[in-house]
Amino acid sequence: MRVRRRRSLLTGLGIALAAAMLVAALVVSDSLGFGFDRAAKAANLPDIIVRFNPESSSRVAQHITALPDIAAYSLRQEVTSVSLQAGNQFADNGDVEVVGTGPRGYAIVAGRDLSSRPGEVVVEKGLADAWGLKVGGTLDINGLGEQRIVGFSESPDNVSYPLAVPRVYVSAAALDTRFGAQANPQVNLAEIWLRDPANLNEVLVQARATSYGLQGLRFVTRSGVRVLLDQAAGIVIDLLVALSLIALATAGVLLAASARAEVQRRLRAIGVRRAVGASRGHLALVQALESLFVAAPAATVGAVAGVLATYGPTGRLLVLLNEPAPGAALAPALIAAWLAAIAIPVLAAAWPAWRAAGRPPVGLLRGAELGRGRRAGPFSMRRAGLTTLGARLAGARRTRLIATAATLGFSTAFVLLMLALASALNSLETDPGALGKRYQLTANLPASAAAHVRTIPGVQAAAPRYETQAVDSFSLGETIDVIAYPGDHTIFEAPPLVSGRRLRGEHEAEVGLGLSQALGLSPGATLAIQLDSGAELRLRVAGVVSSLDDDGRVAYVPAGALLAADPSASDEEELAVRLKPGASAAAVTAALGPSAAPATGAIGRGVPLVAVLRSILRAVAIVDGLVCLYALIQACALTVQERRRTVSVLRAFGAGGPAVRRLLAGAVVALVVPAAALGVALERLVLGPALARLAASYVTLSLGASRLEIAIVLAGLALAGAVAVVWVAHQTTRENVITGMAGS
Amino acid sequence: MPVLEARGIVKTLGVGRAERRILDDISLDVEAGEVVAVLGRSGSGKSTLLHLLGGLDRPDAGQIVLAGHDITRQRARALAKTRLRHVGFVFQAFHLIEELSGEENVLLPARLPGAGRDGERRARRLIGELGLTEIAGRRPHELSGGEQQRLAIARALVNDPELVLADEPTGNLDQDNGATVLALLRSLRRRAVVIVTHEPEAAAIADRVLHLHDGRLRAETAAGVTLRESA
Repeated sequence: MRVRRRRSLLTGLGIALAAAMLVAALVVSDSLGFGFDRAAKAANLPDIIVRFNPESSSRVAQHITALPDIAAYSLRQEVTSVSLQAGNQFADNGDVEVVGTGPRGYAIVAGRDLSSRPGEVVVEKGLADAWGLKVGGTLDINGLGEQRIVGFSESPDNVSYPLAVPRVYVSAAALDTRFGAQANPQVNLAEIWLRDPANLNEVLVQARATSYGLQGLRFVTRSGVRVLLDQAAGIVIDLLVALSLIALATAGVLLAASARAEVQRRLRAIGVRRAVGASRGHLALVQALESLFVAAPAATVGAVAGVLATYGPTGRLLVLLNEPAPGAALAPALIAAWLAAIAIPVLAAAWPAWRAAGRPPVGLLRGAELGRGRRAGPFSMRRAGLTTLGARLAGARRTRLIATAATLGFSTAFVLLMLALASALNSLETDPGALGKRYQLTANLPASAAAHVRTIPGVQAAAPRYETQAVDSFSLGETIDVIAYPGDHTIFEAPPLVSGRRLRGEHEAEVGLGLSQALGLSPGATLAIQLDSGAELRLRVAGVVSSLDDDGRVAYVPAGALLAADPSASDEEELAVRLKPGASAAAVTAALGPSAAPATGAIGRGVPLVAVLRSILRAVAIVDGLVCLYALIQACALTVQERRRTVSVLRAFGAGGPAVRRLLAGAVVALVVPAAALGVALERLVLGPALARLAASYVTLSLGASRLEIAIVLAGLALAGAVAVVWVAHQTTRENVITGMAGS
Repeated sequence: MPVLEARGIVKTLGVGRAERRILDDISLDVEAGEVVAVLGRSGSGKSTLLHLLGGLDRPDAGQIVLAGHDITRQRARALAKTRLRHVGFVFQAFHLIEELSGEENVLLPARLPGAGRDGERRARRLIGELGLTEIAGRRPHELSGGEQQRLAIARALVNDPELVLADEPTGNLDQDNGATVLALLRSLRRRAVVIVTHEPEAAAIADRVLHLHDGRLRAETAAGVTLRESA
């Protein structure tokens, strides 16, 4: 009974792990994959968001109503760099949107929307979570004073605080009540809903053509927002789907093998039942019901564990993305996954019983020995001992050995991949050199200070650096990070050249691979960008570079051309400072003064997002490691279960614990060695390069695991194998030898 | 000094209403070079007695001394070592390992940790002596029952044990092969051999025949009257 309980426990553990993995993948994939659509629907996200310099609302309305296919629009005033304070929390870069009539473009996720009463504020959910704000609490807005928080909002047009600036909404009507109504208030933001979003491009062309008089036009489209968010979520979803498939394959192979072994063990009993008239269907049903008894609670526990492990981190990630948690929408998929986690082991149990019951009862009654084992491998027992025997016993079930080694190999490859990914994230976050940045410091100093800075000991080069945001003039959906240096920018930033050549004149630009792919740009093409000021800059693409900055949506342009088109770009001026090899960054920083700061990595600003991604990857890696451990233990246990008599005969002849461990070690080595080789090869040759392309096709990103990472994973695999050997050997040697030889 | 000394062995099987004292105060000595046959009906407890004598199971009461070791007091590890060095088993179902050749099966106990040296040399000699040279490279399913049982006997002897325990060694064999196997067991010199069987033919080769009935062991006299071996 105890042995049977242990077997059931092991089977249940496998089902629970598979269910946990499946559900975890489902939660994250569904949340991230459909999050934007859900959020856009809940918020009634506009098709076009237009920002412009302040203009009278009547004039803006006149422009909008002249456009074709307009279903609705709302105008608002967006006030930036506002100080916000709640308790000890403070930010001086707040974004206050004064909303007027018309659709809101955000969803209220707690509390209620703004009324026309003064003193009310709706706070973005990400800000509320980060600051611990409650509905009914207060928020101090500079210029408006203390406002009562009436609700929390989510709008997926941008990521949330702390990835973006804190955003709150106040009512225009309330301000009118308090400060007196204005006849023709100034607005600088319009949200537009189309009757048919398929007409977006035509409307945009029309909007640009009829926008005469509006300054600083910047368009953001719903599809543009979606592209950016989809790319961020894509890596995680692909990883999780692949991992859940591995877990399912592992569980499927091992559960089917386990069920087969169990049926093999019961062949005599099946023969007796067949002899007294039991039908095949009845015997298969009995086996299925027994399996259901284990699978249903195990799948439930696994599914709940999977939800608990991932719902929290995913929910935090969704808040940062300004997207709602899936909630009840996830229920049908979860129920389907739960049913699948039950159905697979039940079918895996019923099928071999059905097949076995089809054999003649006389044959079944004759005994429950396994079929003839293969003469596996060139090893002879004269040269090797129990370890070789163990390997041969495992090798006798060749199909299962291959399937289990393959699933272990895939698991190993994915653990390696995640380690490599974590290293890459760390490197990108902390090491500007990983991005091709050659300057180590920045200083918030005017361009005129560059000559002086160059005289500071340890400084090799210093030049003004301009960085500003722009959008693609044609589709307006792509945001572009424009970087400019006077002269040769490769002294300070030299992202690898993919095609073409470096820019030479005032009319040329280098574009990142991400931008090149998004806009279909190649050397010789024209890059047309709309700058923050509304001015347009047209440059010939001289070359395409690999860059991770802004997802590769960058353009290196001559500073002269940028400043000529948009003199306000000099407002963002800073000095890039490159140090001499071996120079002390601390000494130069001290000499530069308080405005000096170290150069940041690509995702330095996205630390919370990276942290959430890391926690998800970590959770998945742990589950993956557990799947490996489970596969090894189950493989060992199956070897013992199927070769119970063999092991018992060995024990009868005097084999103690060490001998059984050596036997099992052989079985584990037969699994682990090919799995490790497969895992390393798979990661280095297939998955690493594939994920590098998937994750950042706009940059040459190495995701090949390092030797240290490979050594760590192989050591972990060996440790898992050792744990499996010791645990199963311990369980085996506790069994009575006579019982084992009887094979019952 | 006997190779095997059993005193007051008691073993109960089953629980509750199904509980049954299958061995009741059994005592038995077996000397080196002696062949003892234990006869009894199916379910009389013959195999249970053999398992207890070989240290595969533990009695509820009593003492068993094997080659000078009190195996009823030994821990599992020491008991395994005693089995390895002092006991050889022959089973009715042969229990040869399918993946291994006949020779590899014979060698297997000699490859266990703690086994004495010369296992390989002894295995080769035994294979020769038992007339198995030609079939030693074949796998069990390619062999007849008699050949398999002879390989099993060679396996039982490969560590040169003082005691050989045979559980229904002819149970799966035809008459000719059964006779060959019994003759083989009879020919084992210097060793104590205990054969448990329900087949009276085994009695013909034994130095001493014991009957197990109602949990008690009785000796068979020349006059055919059974007496209690010990109590």
